[in-house]
Amino acid sequence: MPLAWLVVFFVLPIAIVAAYSFNVYSLYPGQHGFTLGAWSSFIHSGVYLRLFWKSVQMSLIVSAVIVVLAYPLAYYLALSGTKRKYVLLLVLIAPFLTSYLLRVLAWKVILGDEGVINSFLFWTGIRSPGHPISALLYSRFAVILVLGYIWLPFVALPIFVSLESLDRRLLEAAGDLGASRLQAFRRVTLPLSLPGVIAAFLFVFIPTLGEFVTPSLVGGTTGYMYGNQIVDLFGTGFPDWETGAVLAIFLLLVVTILTVVFSRFLQPRQVATD
Amino acid sequence: MDVAISNKGAWALRVFFLLVVVFLYAPIVILLIFSFNNSDVPTFPLSGFTFHWYREFASNSDLRGALETSAIVASLSSLGAVVLGVMASLALTRRVFRGKAAASALLLSPLVIPYVVFGISLLLLFHQLGVQRGLLTVVIGHIVISLPYTILVIVPRLEQIDSSLEEAAYDLGASRLRTFRSITLPLILPAVVSAFLIAFTTSFDEYAVASFVIGTRVTFPIYLYSALRFPSQLPQVIAVAVVVLLVSLVVVIGAELGRRTAERRVG
Repeated sequence: MPLAWLVVFFVLPIAIVAAYSFNVYSLYPGQHGFTLGAWSSFIHSGVYLRLFWKSVQMSLIVSAVIVVLAYPLAYYLALSGTKRKYVLLLVLIAPFLTSYLLRVLAWKVILGDEGVINSFLFWTGIRSPGHPISALLYSRFAVILVLGYIWLPFVALPIFVSLESLDRRLLEAAGDLGASRLQAFRRVTLPLSLPGVIAAFLFVFIPTLGEFVTPSLVGGTTGYMYGNQIVDLFGTGFPDWETGAVLAIFLLLVVTILTVVFSRFLQPRQVATD
Repeated sequence: MDVAISNKGAWALRVFFLLVVVFLYAPIVILLIFSFNNSDVPTFPLSGFTFHWYREFASNSDLRGALETSAIVASLSSLGAVVLGVMASLALTRRVFRGKAAASALLLSPLVIPYVVFGISLLLLFHQLGVQRGLLTVVIGHIVISLPYTILVIVPRLEQIDSSLEEAAYDLGASRLRTFRSITLPLILPAVVSAFLIAFTTSFDEYAVASFVIGTRVTFPIYLYSALRFPSQLPQVIAVAVVVLLVSLVVVIGAELGRRTAERRVG
């Protein structure tokens, strides 16, 4: 029965989107029939592919930066021998489990032209009133900052799990054999925690690639992402479901390929049971 | 010598950890401060202390309606997701059948689908079927999203408990249903409760998918999103934000501590 549910409300709808992308179904009455027209103009026009590439770059920056930030956090919790590691882990992760929209809202309040940072700068006289740092909000920077803020607590988890399961005797052995801390880290700890790092990276990269809520709230025009384009093509202005369906299926294909290629690193069960 | 970390290194990491925690909680604290600020816009300098915004949102019927709607949607969808999740988990752990790996992959696949893609897929499905968009369509979408989370929580618990307990019950003549009710369910209850909580909070906070299939009656995230576009409502929204964030922090931490103590007790 759970499988039937997913077939009807998950697989079937995606199949319908695919059908739209080949013009088997259409929003407007008129000529129907299988065609690759929308796909070929998607690939040839370049507009959408450039936007997709821009989103890939933004997601890569977000994922890379926060994996680098989260690694020392996880390392500290797993290997420094602190007694309260689970409490600290919970402190770290708790914000991730609270409202997504409200955390975006907080940054809107902080970054705006009349926001907390700018008004603080006016008040203290660092910037003269009327000359806010406008690039803070409605920019690519804002999208990357907010997405990083949102996902940072979460990426620490898979890295923590992989470091936690590391056999500490290996490190002792490395030490006994005369390895320095740096050598032990480079030759033992880092390679053994790499699966966790890759998993963490993908856990952020995959969802942020299709992100549209954060960019629509704090991105303005420069922070516009591929996901926003999909939403707009299905929006109320000038709907073009056929092109929208092509964009959606293309994104889904990329995500599926990533998931399959890296499936041996993506073991959500390991994370969830901890 | 501790090969993993030097004393100095541990100290530096502790400071770094602290800084990150400050970074994570500062925005929440800033919201808290400005929710009591006596001004129409959240700007420095602070202009006075007030409970005005809290009173304002307490008497805002649209907002209360949206919270109520979200509570209904979240209850129904998490109930649905947990029921399906228990069934799927039992099948995955207790039965042997062909295509199990494929079934398991399908059951977990909603974890990785971009919500924008799933949202438009549901939109097109309901469009094709001629189904009116409304709370029911949102509930359906949320069940799909939450289902993998419930499975991820329940399966490990089922793997922990000894299946010979269930076999003993069958040998003593208990039916499948009776065995489930008297043996399996009580043993997996802590996991079921936390699965329910996870599904509930997922649904309560879900905007992306809901935005495509919502009807005229809005859920809390949908209300919030549209309120973010009107600056006049901002102080009220900040007050609501503080309440929701604090309540969810307390629930999350409480649930996690509760689960740990329960698991320690049951073993």
